[in-house]
Amino acid sequence: MFGQQSNPVILDLHTHSIKSDDGRAKVQNYCQWIRNRELPIDGFVLTEHRQFDLESDYSSLAKSFDLCILKGAEVETEYGHVLVFGVTEALMGEFDFSSIHLPLAQVIEAAARHHAVPVPCHPGRKRVGMSAHLAEFGIPDGVRIVEIYNGGSRDQEDTIAQAMATEHNYLGIGGSDAHIVSHVGRCATRFPGQIRDERELVEALNAGEFEALTFRDAA
Amino acid sequence: MSVTTINDVEFGEELPVFDPDTSLENVIRFTEAAGWRGSRFTDHAAARKEGLPGALVPGIMSQGFLAAMIHRWAPTAIITNVDTIFRAPVIVDDVYHINGVITDVDLDAGTVEVDLTVTNEKAETRVFGTAAVQLPT
Repeated sequence: MFGQQSNPVILDLHTHSIKSDDGRAKVQNYCQWIRNRELPIDGFVLTEHRQFDLESDYSSLAKSFDLCILKGAEVETEYGHVLVFGVTEALMGEFDFSSIHLPLAQVIEAAARHHAVPVPCHPGRKRVGMSAHLAEFGIPDGVRIVEIYNGGSRDQEDTIAQAMATEHNYLGIGGSDAHIVSHVGRCATRFPGQIRDERELVEALNAGEFEALTFRDAA
Repeated sequence: MSVTTINDVEFGEELPVFDPDTSLENVIRFTEAAGWRGSRFTDHAAARKEGLPGALVPGIMSQGFLAAMIHRWAPTAIITNVDTIFRAPVIVDDVYHINGVITDVDLDAGTVEVDLTVTNEKAETRVFGTAAVQLPT
């Protein structure tokens, strides 16, 4: 159990560990890094590519480092990549997380049925971002939140994401998209109250009271 | 200051920043030595005709830069693995910085893990990866 959260709470909502095919970071080393560098975050969400990691239990690590370590997923749709928060075994039965051709509408509808929250990530990126597909597929129904700060963004990708969020009245989150230890915490999201588990994260996202943050200039 | 044994290393320690020589002259020297004479590496105009933003620094040359950086920091190191992920092309004649930082230390095994990042002048990550390094105990 994650005990002594500051108020407000800042979480990096987009990270990958060695469980992802291109992830090179061990979760313990993320924790060490956050404390060693005194990063201004209270925890992070592991959003592994095309899977939800049911097996790993990070509760002892979370306790040792007094960090909030939660789990989500990053799935792939015709609109690009989408983070999913609040994944349950029941939701995993609704679609094939490993597919690289998921219909976004199916992900959004299933997430709604199972009280999960889908968030298109790095939407300003070519090919794997939502904005690149709007001309072909139109504005998708059911998107409420998009990632507007991504720690791996290049060129104008975050600017494009923010413009799209403004145009369509989407809320914005931030996440580092870290694949190696030293990239964790580059972007994050601030919430007004405690978040101790995935259910509270979903509640906080649904409440809409959060703010995307970037620490890239400070890195 | 260079490192000689595992006891000299601490978690979070930063390696000296290394600015690789990505000049066309140097890349041509590398490709000739490696037996790669593709014009996409040695001719900006030819590379642009292929739809690339400019001539590319070969991936194995970038990996060589990473290894060189580690050996400047720790001349006695044995690099057992360099694992790179290329997020965007590294372009000849552009300026890049390579950063390295220690993200895991096993004193008993005498091994460290190094996060490696190649960034351009806009601080955008073009290449990242990790290296596993063995140091004398």
